[in-house]
Amino acid sequence: MKAFFDKLYNALRSVKLAVVLLVLLALFAIAGGIIPQGKAASYYIEHFSGSGSRIILALALDHVFSSFLFLLVSAIFAINLTVCTFHRLTSEFFKPREKRRHGPDLLHIGLIILLFGGILTSRSRTETFINLRKGDSARLPGGAKLVLVDLKYEQYPDGRPKSWESTVAIDKNPPPEVPAPVLAHEEGGGDTLGTTGFADPTLNNSLSNAKVSNRAPAVSSAAPAAPAIPTDTKAGAGLPSSQTSSVPIAELPQYRIRVNKPLRLKGYSIYQQNWHTEKQVVLKDAMGMQFFLEPGMRETTKDGFVLFMALDTSQSSASAKTANAGAAPVASAVPSAIFLLEQNGKRTVVKAAPGQRIGLFTFDGFVDQPVSGLAVVSDKGYPFVATGFILVILGVFITYIRKLKGILA
Amino acid sequence: MIATIAFGLLLLSLVIQIVFVFKKEGGQDSISPWLSLAAGILLLIEIVRRSIAIRFVALTGMFESLVFLACFLAFLIFALQYFKSTKGNRVIPFGATIIAVIFLALASSPLAPSDIKPPVPALQSGWLVLHVSFTFIGEVFFTVGFVSAILQLVGKDEEKRRSYDRITYTSIAVGYPIFTAGALIFGAIWAEKAWGVWWSWDPKETWALITWLTYTAYLHFRLVRKSTSKLVPALVIIGFVIAMFTFFGVNFLLKGLHSYA
Repeated sequence: MKAFFDKLYNALRSVKLAVVLLVLLALFAIAGGIIPQGKAASYYIEHFSGSGSRIILALALDHVFSSFLFLLVSAIFAINLTVCTFHRLTSEFFKPREKRRHGPDLLHIGLIILLFGGILTSRSRTETFINLRKGDSARLPGGAKLVLVDLKYEQYPDGRPKSWESTVAIDKNPPPEVPAPVLAHEEGGGDTLGTTGFADPTLNNSLSNAKVSNRAPAVSSAAPAAPAIPTDTKAGAGLPSSQTSSVPIAELPQYRIRVNKPLRLKGYSIYQQNWHTEKQVVLKDAMGMQFFLEPGMRETTKDGFVLFMALDTSQSSASAKTANAGAAPVASAVPSAIFLLEQNGKRTVVKAAPGQRIGLFTFDGFVDQPVSGLAVVSDKGYPFVATGFILVILGVFITYIRKLKGILA
Repeated sequence: MIATIAFGLLLLSLVIQIVFVFKKEGGQDSISPWLSLAAGILLLIEIVRRSIAIRFVALTGMFESLVFLACFLAFLIFALQYFKSTKGNRVIPFGATIIAVIFLALASSPLAPSDIKPPVPALQSGWLVLHVSFTFIGEVFFTVGFVSAILQLVGKDEEKRRSYDRITYTSIAVGYPIFTAGALIFGAIWAEKAWGVWWSWDPKETWALITWLTYTAYLHFRLVRKSTSKLVPALVIIGFVIAMFTFFGVNFLLKGLHSYA
């Protein structure tokens, strides 16, 4: 029995086994690097010969890195690495101190911790994308509330992006969420914030439950400098603080998030993922008040509501104009929009071009609203992966860099 | 213009070396080491000039990457040629010079536009600079290992093969930790900072891992191989071919997060 375990132990710690496993892992990775991953079975049948597609599907080469065979080889490699490290480490301790070489041990231990961290990351990592306009807010894990205070987008002269930067405020003790009331615009009450919970996988404030419009006083075409974002109805500007945060936004700690400069908070990090613009329609009432609606938002009236359903890109209106918060009309190929109009209980779908009437409103045009795309990531494997990296770097340099003198000797 | 002059110097160095490579006796010529050094310095000046223009380390495009590779390869060629003990071995610097010339020829091709463009937000990271520079410095050592492994594979004299084996091993042993740190670790740290994910099996990441696995297999296989095994130098040659595919092939054939690199 002892002989069997000795044989098994020696086999599991052998360098030959390590070489075979490394080559196998490389071959799997080559397959994963050449064969497109994660496509439907029909794709492989269509793009590869009969036997080729059969082999791909039988060996799960269409999803190599999560296939049983790859995971099995990886698991044996991890065992080989662990047994080898144990054996080497115990052997080194019996050597005189000056003859000990711990570089390979550090490297191997680092790789083991890295593998463990990688597994933990793959099992526990969560990632949620949020799209926020200036003033929007979102719930973070642990209940804190994030408010987008500002966003900046800079371009190079050739049009390529130079920087994306979001300034956010974090309220660690926000008031409990309250259902968003539907407000009649005649009442003149403040809007609700478009708040969403972190757990919502479709987290997107733009399309959240708070389906009421943003509003801004009408701006005449003679005053084109008016802001495109109606900040007066946004968090911290025109709302009672009880609706947005426990304290005024200005008193909350503020942080800047840029690409490559994530915000690290306890248990999660927030990354600047992208920046884009979102088209909103602008409605104007008889008093000249403007209302900004994104797809899915509605504005209520005394006899019903107007809901902006979607852009109609199939047809452009020659007489269209772009509304940029009161900018002068611009003749351009602007799509029309589709609205759901309810008046006295009767609902109709209306397709309208800018300038046309929709119930009590005039469809005033479009505005491009800047949106910051943030990713909220929670990763329990982070400290292990980071520790693994440090040990691997230390180990690999201690082991091999002393050879530098050999290359010129 | 500066890169073109460097290209000319390396080409001249190559011509001079050809004469000496085929001479049966005598050591390294006395001119080509200085030509290699001058070419390396010129290429470094080109990198600095472009970096000043974009106010960031100019390592974010194919042209800049090739210039960086050729620059450090030229410095290593100089070191190989200059240091006394390797003077007797003229073939390895000669082979490495050929590869440096190829890198610069590619840099002047339409495949590598030389427009000076400041980096987009994702590329504005110190980790990117570490990632790219360490990866390429590691690959410079792999280049020497590659040339030496070819000589080891085709050589008939056992003593010379042993000598080439030692050079191959030391080149890989020096390049390996630098490549590991640059390609895998600094790359993963940069990816985490930029996208919040360490590893995403992007084609470039996958092929960098294949390169690393191949060289790791070489370093381990060398511990247990028979001294006459041809598989050992073959692994180094395969590793270099994969490294070059990771650099060029993935950019042009496979799309992914690194499609700008």
